[in-house]
Amino acid sequence: MTRANDTAVVIRGVTKTFGAHTAVNDLNLTVPRGTVYGFIGPNGSGKTTTLRMIMRILHPDLGEVEVLGGRTMRAANDRVGYLPEERGLYKSMTVRNVLQFYAELKGVRRARPAIDEWLERMGLAEWAGKKVQALSKGMAQKVQFIAAVVSKPDLVLLDEPFSGLDPVNLETLREAVLDLRRGGATVIFSTHDMNVAERMCDSIFMIYRGKKVLDGTLESIQAAYGSDTVRVRLDSNGGVPGSMPGVLKLTDFGRYQELRLADGVDSQAVLAALMARGRVSHFELARPSLHDIFVRIAAPETVVTAGNNHA
Amino acid sequence: MHKAFVIAVREYNAAVRTKAFLISLVVFPVLIGGSVGLQLLLKDKVDTAEKRFAVIDRTPGEKLVEKLAVAAQARNTTEIFDRPGGKQIKPAFTVERVASGDERREAVDQQRFDLSERVRDGDLFGFLEIGSGVVELAGLPPDAADAANDDDAPPGPSPNDRFLMRYQSNSPTFDAFQRWAEKVVNEAAKESRYAAAGLPAEKVKAAVRPVPLVTKGLTRRNTATGRFDEARDENPIASMLVPGGLLMLMFMLILIGSTPLMQGVVEEKMQRIAEVLLGSVRPFDLMLGKLLGLVGVSVTLAAVYLSGAYWAARHYGYAEFVSVEVLSWFLVYLVLGVLMYGSLFVAVGAACTDLRETQAMLWPVMLLAMVPMFVWMNVVREPNSVFSTVASYVPTATPMLMLVRVAVPPGIAWWQPVVGMVGVLAATLACVYAAGRIFRVGLLMQGKAATPRELLRWVFEA
Repeated sequence: MTRANDTAVVIRGVTKTFGAHTAVNDLNLTVPRGTVYGFIGPNGSGKTTTLRMIMRILHPDLGEVEVLGGRTMRAANDRVGYLPEERGLYKSMTVRNVLQFYAELKGVRRARPAIDEWLERMGLAEWAGKKVQALSKGMAQKVQFIAAVVSKPDLVLLDEPFSGLDPVNLETLREAVLDLRRGGATVIFSTHDMNVAERMCDSIFMIYRGKKVLDGTLESIQAAYGSDTVRVRLDSNGGVPGSMPGVLKLTDFGRYQELRLADGVDSQAVLAALMARGRVSHFELARPSLHDIFVRIAAPETVVTAGNNHA
Repeated sequence: MHKAFVIAVREYNAAVRTKAFLISLVVFPVLIGGSVGLQLLLKDKVDTAEKRFAVIDRTPGEKLVEKLAVAAQARNTTEIFDRPGGKQIKPAFTVERVASGDERREAVDQQRFDLSERVRDGDLFGFLEIGSGVVELAGLPPDAADAANDDDAPPGPSPNDRFLMRYQSNSPTFDAFQRWAEKVVNEAAKESRYAAAGLPAEKVKAAVRPVPLVTKGLTRRNTATGRFDEARDENPIASMLVPGGLLMLMFMLILIGSTPLMQGVVEEKMQRIAEVLLGSVRPFDLMLGKLLGLVGVSVTLAAVYLSGAYWAARHYGYAEFVSVEVLSWFLVYLVLGVLMYGSLFVAVGAACTDLRETQAMLWPVMLLAMVPMFVWMNVVREPNSVFSTVASYVPTATPMLMLVRVAVPPGIAWWQPVVGMVGVLAATLACVYAAGRIFRVGLLMQGKAATPRELLRWVFEA
C-alpha cells in the first residue's frame, strides 16, 4: 500500500452513470505524486468524465475519489489546475484579465508577475492586452494552459492539451508540462496522440467503454503485449509476400514492413523463411507501439490474440 | 465567500464596462423622454391644409349656418395661428352652404349620397346637417335620444333628425371640426331659444354659469409661526406619474441586468468556461457571485436614474413625491427583486444550451414580471382597496406594487411594506435555492435544454 502522501489521486471502485449510459464502470486507479500520467482511449470512452470526477465537478455514483490526500466532496480545490477540452475562456475579456480572474478564483492575490512571466515564456507577451476572441486556436490553447497552471497547483489536469497545435506550439507546451513535473507537480493529461503519450508519460492509463484496459508504465504495457512484432526490410523482389505461415498481420510502411506473429510462433523460424526468399537487410524484434496496442483494443476485429501472451 | 466576490467583480465589470451598458443607460430616459418630447415636437406638425365642409341648415331662416360661416371666418383669421401673425398650426375650415331643398325621404337620401360622393372625391372633408327643430324650445323626448343613434333604424331621415346635428365623413378620427361646430351651433341655438322664450340672454347665462371645483391637499399648521399654511394645489397627474415612473424604472432595472446575466450563463456553458469555474468555485458561490454582480449593476443604474429623477423632481417642485422613504423602499425592493428575478434568469440560462432555447423558457418568468404592469393603474387609483392590498403581498409583484402603494399619497401603514419585504425575502431565498440546484446540474449539461419535469427533479432531489 502506498501512503497517502505519495499519491496524488486514488480512485477506488468508482462508477458514474448518466441516465442509461454508464460512463465509468468500477474504476480503480492510483496516480503517484510527481508523475506525468497519460489518459488514452477512444472518444466517449470516459476520459473526460474521469477527469471531471478528479476535479470534483462531478460526483461518482459509487466509490470514492481521493485527491491530494483529501476525500471531501467539495468542489473547488485551489491546489488543482484544470484545462478543459477546447475553449474555456471569456471571449470578450483581455488575455491578462481573464488570467488574473482565474488566478484570483484559485486564491492567488498578486498573480500579475506570474502571469507576465508565463505570457513571456509562451511568446504571448504582446497579446496580454488583446481580447481572447482575437487569438488563434493555438494561442488560445496556450492561454488556457497558463490559466490552469498560473496558481502553481500540485495537481494539473489537462484534457486534450495538445490537440490542434502546430509542432512549434506543441513543443513549447510539452516542455512546459515536463517543467511542471520537474517542479514537483503531478500532471494528468488525456490525449489522442500516441506519440506524445509514449514520449512524455511516466505511466499510461487507457479507458475503453468506461473500463480500465491498460494501466502502467509504457515498458510494462509493451512487455504485457509481448514481442510479437517484427520489422523487416528485404532488398529484393518486392518484400514480404502477402501471406506467410505464422504471420497474423502485415503492415507495409514503405521503407519497412511490420509483421505481427501468431501466438507461439518463433521469430527465428520467420527469419529463416524470409532469408530463404531473398536478402534480409533489416530484421528487428520490435515492441508493439502504443498506437498499435490502442488500435488492437479499440478496434475489436483486430483483437485476436492480444493480451493472451502474458509472460 | 471571497470567491463569490471575485465572481461578482468580474460580472460587474463585464456588464458595466461595455458599450451595451452605456446604451441601455441612455435608452430608458430616451424612451420615456422621447415619447413625451416627440409628442411636443409633433404637436405643431399637423396637416394645416384647408378643410372644406358642406353644411345644410334646415332651421327656418337658416340663421345657424350663417353664424357658423362667420365663426369660421373669425377662426381662420386668428385661432389657427400660434400667435397673431405667427405660424399656422391648425387647418382652416371653410363652410359651404348647401340648400336644404326637399324634405322628403328620397330627396334627403339622394342629397346625402351626392355629398358623400363629393367627400369620396376629396372635394369635401365632411358634411353637417342641422335639424330643423334644434332652435325650438320643445326638444327631443329624452327616451328618443338613444334611438337616434340606433344602427338598426331604417335608412333615410328619422323624425328625430329634426333635433340633431348630423355629421358624415370618412375620417372619423379627425374630430376638431365636430367639436368646433358643435360648440358654435349650440351657442347660437341657445341664443335663439332664449329669445324665443323671451328671456334676456345675459340673465340666463348668469343663472346657468357653472360652479368650478379645485383640488387641494390637507391643511397643515406651520409649527414655526403657528399659523395655518395654505393647502397646496393637488396635481393628480403627478400623483399618478411618480408611482408609475418608479414602477417602470423597477421593471426596467430588473430586466436590463437579468437578460445579459442569463446570456452570460449560456455563454459559459457553450464555451466550457463553466467547467473551469466549477473547478475553482462551488456552484452556489458561483451563482451568488453572479447575483451580487447583478445587484451592483442594478444599484448603479438606479443611482444614476434616481438622482436624475430626484433632481428633476426638486427642480420642478414635485420633491414631495420622491421622499427619502419612497427612495429607501425602492432600493430595498430593487435589491430583493433583482435577486429573486435574477436567480430565475440564471436558472433558465443554466437549463438551456443556446440562446434560442432561452426564449421559450423565459416567458413564464417574463409573465411574472409583467403582471404588475397590467394592474398598476388600479393600484394607483385605489391603493387601499382589497385588490391592491392583496396583489401587493404576492411576492413576485411586491417589489413593484408595494412600491406603488408606498409612493401614492398619503402612503400606507409602515408595517405593510415591512411585511411585504419579509414575503419577498422568503420568496427570494426559495428562488435562489431552487436556482442554485438547477444551476449546479444544468451548468455541465450539454446537448439539449432541460424539460420542466427535469428541472423539478433537480430542485427537489437530493
